[in-house]
Amino acid sequence: MQELIGALSLASIYVLFALGMSLTWGTIDILNFAHGSIFMFSAFTAYLALQSTSLSFFVVLLIGVVVGAAMSLLTQVLAFEQIIKRAKDKRSAEMQILIGGIGVAIIPLSIAQHYTKSNPFGFENSSFQVTKITFGDYWVTNVQLITIVLAAVLGIATAWWLRRSRQGLALRSIGVDSEVASIMGVDRRKLALATMAVAGAMAGLAGILLTYSLGAITPESGDTLLVKAFACIILGGVGSTAGVYLGSFLLAAAETVVLTQTNGLWVDAVSFGLIFLVLLVRPSGIFGRKEVRRT
Amino acid sequence: MMDFFDSNVVLVQATFIGLVLALSVQVPLRMGVFSFAGAGSFGIGAYLAGIITIKYETPGIVAVLITMVVTAVIGLLLGLVISRLAGLYLAMATVAFDLIISVLAINGGELTGGPTGLYGVLSDFGTIHLVIVTLVVLALVAASEIGRTGRRVDAVRDDPELAASVGISVRRYRLVAFVVSGALGGAAGAMNILVRSTVTPQDIGFGLIVLALTMIIVGGARSWKGAVLGAVIFTWLPELLTIVGDWQPLIYGIIVALAAIFLPRGIHGLWVDSRRALQRRRREKAAGGAAGVAGDDDDDSGSTVIEKLKESSEMEATP
Repeated sequence: MQELIGALSLASIYVLFALGMSLTWGTIDILNFAHGSIFMFSAFTAYLALQSTSLSFFVVLLIGVVVGAAMSLLTQVLAFEQIIKRAKDKRSAEMQILIGGIGVAIIPLSIAQHYTKSNPFGFENSSFQVTKITFGDYWVTNVQLITIVLAAVLGIATAWWLRRSRQGLALRSIGVDSEVASIMGVDRRKLALATMAVAGAMAGLAGILLTYSLGAITPESGDTLLVKAFACIILGGVGSTAGVYLGSFLLAAAETVVLTQTNGLWVDAVSFGLIFLVLLVRPSGIFGRKEVRRT
Repeated sequence: MMDFFDSNVVLVQATFIGLVLALSVQVPLRMGVFSFAGAGSFGIGAYLAGIITIKYETPGIVAVLITMVVTAVIGLLLGLVISRLAGLYLAMATVAFDLIISVLAINGGELTGGPTGLYGVLSDFGTIHLVIVTLVVLALVAASEIGRTGRRVDAVRDDPELAASVGISVRRYRLVAFVVSGALGGAAGAMNILVRSTVTPQDIGFGLIVLALTMIIVGGARSWKGAVLGAVIFTWLPELLTIVGDWQPLIYGIIVALAAIFLPRGIHGLWVDSRRALQRRRREKAAGGAAGVAGDDDDDSGSTVIEKLKESSEMEATP
């Protein structure tokens, strides 16, 4: 039961992180490899801000959200839009975006590594204290609780927005056929920017929450999370919000089981193995739409 | 010359190993298979060559050949399993394959040395062997870029349906891509441990994929010349960048991002494109002069058709 709470809060971090990736990949065809760096650098910026002054929990969260959104927007405008403009077809654009993302990801990573000397950094100066809430034999920290609630609320809000609002419909139409969508008056560029901003904001949020909940994170933690988020997305199905949830919970549960049963070094193999397995057995994921291009 | 060689022998070795690694990712890419399995084969190759050298004291060149056969077979099996995937899905499956190899290396216990890796692998494999193996491999890869094979490979990449319709077995070519990638990656990994005598799980992680990819993207993905350019640039660039200290990765990242945006076909592609553009301009000038002398509209249009034909045949000839 105690493990279940831990798995649930871990899954919620995965949801917040992977939801943005899944959203951009499933709709505007951008698999952003800088997503992990954006996640890490948002927390790192908050850490820098906390060096000079003590800030409350909400200010720190706000910093993470704003920095994440801004970095994601910058990546889109300076790198991905330029690549799409120059690419001759969709396939080569996809590949250039992947490589461009890898390049962009190195930049914030090396800045953070330079200042922290690759040591973990945390929010010691924050006025917010992590406390345990006990009920019966079990406990949950306030950060874990906030993470779980935020992941649930934001996930449902995203799913609702995608399904019910006009912009959500427009965004999904881009995912199906961007040319027809633009004929129907959908402004692809504006929607792409908005989607990237939302994705970045959620990554920043996840960065702040994970740093609070673990106490400290390393500059390299973004890379690991990127592969794990990938596993979550593949597991559930690209572009499906419910899929991200299911994938995240399955991965977090599997990792918790492995962590409690073995010496811990095998944990990373779980996500890589799951990616492999799902791609083989059901490439479109559990909730994925059937898509010809995929297999 | 000898002084330069002696003082930079590690970098010279790294250049050749980097080249073989880059080719292991480039060959499948040239056949339209977005596979990073070469990096995983590098890991398998490094550990396998290290283990057989320690246990059986195999001569260096034999160890490399055994490793290449094993990684080629693993490549074939991997290809049989995942060749039905395409694009980014295939890419991520191979990334997962690579990372599983590094997790296996960490958890291999005494056989792989766990997180500290293998060390003290002493072998008679020297720089001269390294150079010979690399040149043989390079010659074979270069041979696959010209003539019939070269055109078939281009067809399989650019238009698989068309290739299949003219009787090229696309599936077989894709499987060959996996086999060759496995053998090349294995060779690079084996040679790496035999000349450096050590390997750790960190050496075969995500960074290796990024390195191989950046080499061929910046150098050029369509030709072995691009791989050579990339291997030279990214082995020696860190040397040149020592002045900027630990800001080195930052510059590295900026270069990769800029290359992805502005040089989608790499430095080699830029060279090919500019040479072609120059030729075209020169020919247009010559054709313009000829048309001016003839002073006839019909002649003019006739010459452009011939030119287009010439140009298209030229495009087929140069990969």
